[in-house]
Amino acid sequence: MKARTRNWTAVVAIASTTTALLAGCGQTQSGNTANGSAAIAPKQNTVSTNVVAPTHLVNYSHASGSIVWAESFTTGPVAKQLVAAFEKKYPKIKVTMQVQPSSTDTNRADLTATISGGSSTPDVYMGDVIWPAQFAHAQLAAPLSDYLPKSFWNRFSNGLVQGATYNGKVYAAPLFADTAFLYYRKDLLQKYHLPVPTTWEQVKSEAATIVKKGGAKYGFVWQGADYEGLTCDFDEYLADAGGSVLTNGKASLNTPAANKALSFMRSLITSGVTPKTVDTFQEPQSENVFTQGQAVFLRNWSYAWSDSQNPASSKVVGKVGVTALPTFAGHGSSGYSTVGGWDLYLNPHTKDLAAALQFIDWMTSPQAQEILAANSEMPTIKAVANSPTLKKYSPVFALLPKVKFVSRPSQTPQYPSVSKAIYDNVNEALAGSVSVSTALKNANSQINSAQSGSGSGGL
Amino acid sequence: MAMEAASTGKKERRSGILQRTDVRAGWGLLTPAGIVILAVTIFPIIYSLFMSFNNIQLTTNGFQFTFTGLQNYKDVYSAPLFWHSVGFTIYYSVITVAVELFFGLLIALAIQNVERLKSISIIVMLIPWALITVISAQMWGYIYNGVYGVLNAILQGLHIIHTQVNWLGQPFTAVVSLMIADIWKTTPFVVIILLSGLQMIPKDYYEAALIDGANAWQSFWNVTFPQLRGSIALAGLFRILQAFGIFDLPFVLTQGGPGTTTTSLAMLGEETLFTNLHFGLGAAVAISTVILILGACLIFLSAFRGMVGEEAQ
Repeated sequence: MKARTRNWTAVVAIASTTTALLAGCGQTQSGNTANGSAAIAPKQNTVSTNVVAPTHLVNYSHASGSIVWAESFTTGPVAKQLVAAFEKKYPKIKVTMQVQPSSTDTNRADLTATISGGSSTPDVYMGDVIWPAQFAHAQLAAPLSDYLPKSFWNRFSNGLVQGATYNGKVYAAPLFADTAFLYYRKDLLQKYHLPVPTTWEQVKSEAATIVKKGGAKYGFVWQGADYEGLTCDFDEYLADAGGSVLTNGKASLNTPAANKALSFMRSLITSGVTPKTVDTFQEPQSENVFTQGQAVFLRNWSYAWSDSQNPASSKVVGKVGVTALPTFAGHGSSGYSTVGGWDLYLNPHTKDLAAALQFIDWMTSPQAQEILAANSEMPTIKAVANSPTLKKYSPVFALLPKVKFVSRPSQTPQYPSVSKAIYDNVNEALAGSVSVSTALKNANSQINSAQSGSGSGGL
Repeated sequence: MAMEAASTGKKERRSGILQRTDVRAGWGLLTPAGIVILAVTIFPIIYSLFMSFNNIQLTTNGFQFTFTGLQNYKDVYSAPLFWHSVGFTIYYSVITVAVELFFGLLIALAIQNVERLKSISIIVMLIPWALITVISAQMWGYIYNGVYGVLNAILQGLHIIHTQVNWLGQPFTAVVSLMIADIWKTTPFVVIILLSGLQMIPKDYYEAALIDGANAWQSFWNVTFPQLRGSIALAGLFRILQAFGIFDLPFVLTQGGPGTTTTSLAMLGEETLFTNLHFGLGAAVAISTVILILGACLIFLSAFRGMVGEEAQ
């Protein structure tokens, strides 16, 4: 026990240094443009992934048994379809589904309590792409790269494995990816003879014009509430302005780029283009305003496409266009989109390792990834993501070559506090209760104290 | 006194055997409940206290503790966010409980005096209390929503406001909106307790007051209020205990925002524990909350006793 403690301290020490390095290099390289060949390729992560060699390679080709899979798909029958197809192919393995809370934070709390309590189920669980560092650090996830051959990781699109790596080991298998797009009312743009915007300035002026002429009640809706989603929105403007949350592992929000990003977000509200209530909007509220025909533009994830085409809930079926997010004028042809999505994690206490690995392997196989794509979830493996037939499932997939990706600074186990430092202060600035520069100054110092991972920064 | 003690002593001796089996049976009956209380209340509190003195790492073998003394408390007390949460929790609790007691008393008196509609009004009033808070909070979310909210629609229809108010997105209105939702939900609880208190006041007290020529206010102030003080203290105590633990309303309605305006102590503790996974710090927040609640209850009880005591004399 003593030896273990010492060992662990060493790991933490190494981990925190590595984290700083990783986060640093991730952010400095985010200024590059993505190449169009891979569906998801956050540029900061093109450094080839140095996955350590497996220590306990498991042969799972004849696995049998029964496992529990905690799934957090919020809608649709996709989880059931996946399990049915898996059990058909591997009749010796029985998969029981356990439906998780739809709120990501509640889901995390639930999984943390279950797994830290030593439960052997769920054997495999779905988790957010921003969890690997925290879950690895807290040993809530088993290092998959210890059990799977190095070649296993080649199947994934560039950058995704790096995002799931902590301290050289891979803790999660990317299940499906997600990113943000600009949805627009093509009927309104046509009516007022306006082009599809490619800059944020254009979004603002076109939205103002259409609102002024009575075409729609609101111009542009997005996510400004006090939660993780605001970090995503802010990171995009920040990357477009040429900034990043961290530079060489230190907070860098006291920069002109950060000021430009947040000032622009605030100006959307003060100019009346965005309703001031946006500071209470999460995805459903912003999407609702758009699908009820009240807004010209919407920033949202890929699923908003199918929602906007569903006559049961949308009044704008057939009137919606989608394009890559814009950028600031003079900053290239299109803007940055946050990388989101969900991974598969392995419970370190699983009693059926081979069956669990077989399940993870199949879920990231072309057969499963095709099922996901057919359900409008963005595939993570090259074989499916780069297939020309992909766009038949959703027009957003056709835009992927144009999209530039920005990752959140989630390579640190303290990411939740880092993100909170961002969204709390940005939200306050959006509400107008503090100035842009004060908000950024506070965010900057809170990120630095959060990153230390100890002391009052842990709150 | 002495005689009383002596007589009970004699009685005990007389029924010694019976008493002993009674005691044994009593303990037997109490044990299951005692174990449950021990397991779900006493143990977690002691465990939290223990956790709060340790630096805790999660490992595959479960928690690994390193004793760090008061370090977690030092860290928590040096965080401005903690003191902000303490401040918010205190003024939120004091204001909502005060308003709830005031309205609760008014409504209880009204219901008490309307014999015919008593049962139906109790049922109607209990609906907010019976609804699960997360669900009623969602409902308030629709009411307060700045774009398609009912409240804005009504106020605009009545020409009271001309532009939409961002109820949950501005610090002041966010706090007031939360308070209103809280008062709506928990006033019925106060009413029920006060109503039962009112029903226990003997009718002849009022008759005596009437004969003495007391008016309505005098009979309220000299009969009802002193007789009701136990019930008011009870309702206030329960409400303070709950109000200081406020979590679900801001969790659903504001997520603690705008910024950190409506971050209560319970939310801060939950976030530190289950989002940031800092178990030692989270435990220190939780224990500090418990101490604060106990302190608040003691202050309330002594203040209330003092006030009523003076009036009664």
